[in-house]
Amino acid sequence: MGSRQFMAILRKDLIRELRTREMLVSMFLFVMLALVIFHYAFGVDEDTDLTSFTGGMLWVTFIFSALLGLNRSFAQEKDEQCLDGLLLCPVDRVTIFFAKMTGNLVFLLIIQAVSVPVFTLFFIERSYLADIGLFILVLLLADLGICTIGTLLATISMNTRARDLLLPIVFLPLIVPVLIAATSATTGIFADGADLGDLAARLGFLAAFDAVFMVAAYGTYDFAIGE
Amino acid sequence: MKKLTSAPALFAAAGAFLVTGLLLAFLYAPVDASSMGFSQKIFYYHAPIAETALVAFGIAFVAAILYLRDPDPKWDRLSYVSVRLGLLFSVMVMITGMIWGKAAWDAWWAWEPRLTTFLIVCFLYTAYFVLRQVVEEESRRATYAAVFAIVAFIDVPITFFATRYMPEGLHPVVIRAGDSGMEGSMFLSFMISMAGMTLLLAALVRADVAAARLKDEIDDLKTRIGG
Repeated sequence: MGSRQFMAILRKDLIRELRTREMLVSMFLFVMLALVIFHYAFGVDEDTDLTSFTGGMLWVTFIFSALLGLNRSFAQEKDEQCLDGLLLCPVDRVTIFFAKMTGNLVFLLIIQAVSVPVFTLFFIERSYLADIGLFILVLLLADLGICTIGTLLATISMNTRARDLLLPIVFLPLIVPVLIAATSATTGIFADGADLGDLAARLGFLAAFDAVFMVAAYGTYDFAIGE
Repeated sequence: MKKLTSAPALFAAAGAFLVTGLLLAFLYAPVDASSMGFSQKIFYYHAPIAETALVAFGIAFVAAILYLRDPDPKWDRLSYVSVRLGLLFSVMVMITGMIWGKAAWDAWWAWEPRLTTFLIVCFLYTAYFVLRQVVEEESRRATYAAVFAIVAFIDVPITFFATRYMPEGLHPVVIRAGDSGMEGSMFLSFMISMAGMTLLLAALVRADVAAARLKDEIDDLKTRIGG
């Protein structure tokens, strides 16, 4: 894996996105709209205690907005035949995977950096500042899992007839374990401060998930991206 | 021809084992002493079906790896057929599980980790067929399907592990007879049912693979005469 090629592809993706901002803007608006919809869908008034739902609300929103971004990140490559150009370059397929995955991860993290404070303002009463480090760790590990599986499957989806229609169907059932672990960890942090034993178990689980699927993606990406 | 003739032999053996297992379960094995009582009898069917479903997905996983190493259509056929049968068995796991749940917990559906895992597994492997549907070119379809079969199978144990993080519902997680050491007569009946179900899978895989091969040959002939 060449680090120069990796940086070149990643830089290309970041510059492209910073110029158009189409992914970031739509992902951010999606998250904000989802939060407003949650507020009304749950019929929240002053007495409603949403605490036990907050982790789930946050992660449902993030997973769907990640789907938006993942689909876009390959639609762009495919539309202008950029992917073919990329494949013609003397670059390892695995390097392409890690670069695209890192790009998606960066975008998701940017969205989260902006939307978590808003989410906190809207829905969280307790200050979780003491556990902020752990929360960031949950975000990082869960995002890594989402982007690893997502990048692998988005590559496959883009090469099929259904294109962006396929991704949610193959991606969502696979990501359920991440959703469960991230949700319960996040709710734990928001609710009553983290129970460190439980939290450590979930963090370990997320890290193991990331590692396993990183290896699986490493082994299969050659086949996913095609010739 | 030899392969075709061996499928009926396997079916016959499976039938003999399954009937024997059923008779033993009802006539020889005692009624369960715990609170489950008579409803525990479904265990002799339910658990072997679940085991067989996982074996089928395991075969699909191995066949998928073999296909990626050596793209011979026979591995794709084996993988495809195994996923289809695994899905069929998974649906049966859900149905028998729900019947048992109704008897044991008086509810058709409880979010019990094992049952929930099989629900997610059903979605996961249904997606496999959606994926196959939207890729026209044969070798490409086989390759993507193989990648997905590998990733999906890795996800199954992880999902099961993760479902235990969910807060338990109203219903207690009943410890099954299998978890805590069975009586000899129960164990015998169970093992015979298990062997019967596994033989049934072997017979079905064999017959199905033969049928799939014939279908491929017919398609081949059709294109050759310009159909």
